[in-house]
Amino acid sequence: MTTFEQIQEIIVDQLDKEESEVQLDTNFRDELEADSLDLFQIINDIEDEFDIKIESEEGLNTVKDLVEYVEKQQEA
Amino acid sequence: MTQSLIEQIGIDYPIIQGAMSWVATPSLAAAVSNAGGLGMLGSGHEPSEVIRKAIKETKEMTDKPFGVNVLLLSPYVDDVVDVVCEENIKVVTTGAGTPGKYMKRFKEAGVTVIPVVASVALARRMEKEGADAIICEGMEAGGHIGKLTTMTLVPQVVDAVDIPVIVAGGIADGRGMAAAMFLGAAAVQLGTRFVVAHESIAHDTFKQRIIKARDIDTVVTGQITGHPVRVLRNKLTREYLKVEKEMSSDEHPDFSRLEALAKGALRKAVVEGDKHGGSFMAGQIAGLVNKEQSCHDIIQELMSEYDELVSHPKIF
Repeated sequence: MTTFEQIQEIIVDQLDKEESEVQLDTNFRDELEADSLDLFQIINDIEDEFDIKIESEEGLNTVKDLVEYVEKQQEA
Repeated sequence: MTQSLIEQIGIDYPIIQGAMSWVATPSLAAAVSNAGGLGMLGSGHEPSEVIRKAIKETKEMTDKPFGVNVLLLSPYVDDVVDVVCEENIKVVTTGAGTPGKYMKRFKEAGVTVIPVVASVALARRMEKEGADAIICEGMEAGGHIGKLTTMTLVPQVVDAVDIPVIVAGGIADGRGMAAAMFLGAAAVQLGTRFVVAHESIAHDTFKQRIIKARDIDTVVTGQITGHPVRVLRNKLTREYLKVEKEMSSDEHPDFSRLEALAKGALRKAVVEGDKHGGSFMAGQIAGLVNKEQSCHDIIQELMSEYDELVSHPKIF
């Protein structure tokens, strides 16, 4: 599974969406009706899944932002 | 765990006063701290100098520790954090965001940082960010709320983190306090009961509304905006909920109508006592709050009820 697919699965599970609704350019805050509790759950699940730490959710708006953040953390 | 948190803060009883907007002023915070609990000052969206003045005023009324609630959404938050550190405040509670950015500054100043959380994920995040404890608030609470009840949220959070958990939402007497302690609390936070304290500056109309409130008298407004708020129902909430209902079918609802209704409503409730137009934030436990007392009497009553229950538990 690619990083994108893993993140897509986390978001699909948390927000009860279809995979087709969660694409790289999807803004998960605005387009997927995620409230702040959902948002922290998703961040928490991504941290657990990839064993990384997301310092701040600021600037993370699209699925692509998340994928890039995770990949950068994994390289470090 | 209980001992260490209240010892760390330096208070006699594990009772914290909620930082209710407009109500958590120097007179209330000082009275709660003088009575052996932890008084809290609200900071809301006020500029830092207003908060510094409130801190100084509180210090004149008590030499016991008290805390400040920092609203992370405030445009003045950076300056407020500086003031809190400069004034040697021992405890900060935070709402509306994550305090990670300020954690180093708080730690250097020896501040105990206690964020308010409404889910397990948020609790775990705060622990990772270095929070000393967390306030776990159920949706029974007044004001801004989450989705879970205290009964369900607290044990799940207690199992998920290793830092002390303070329980808020639905507590107004020794029974609620004992229940919270059995769920794993290190301390409890009460809001509604302290609104009606003698030392609370809340308008008498607000106090009377709480004292007369029954179990079913609160409603949750703002679900549609994603920022639900629990308040006592009145003409304002009826209108507000009507507009919300009308908007529920809109694909892109325009929240400005709701904002216009809510503008200044909190001040109207607390300061002016505007029965119809005010937003009277109170928890579901308002129905149990039936008299105005001093903070000293409230805390002593809670502790004696609590002690009685835990020393003589009713075994079926």
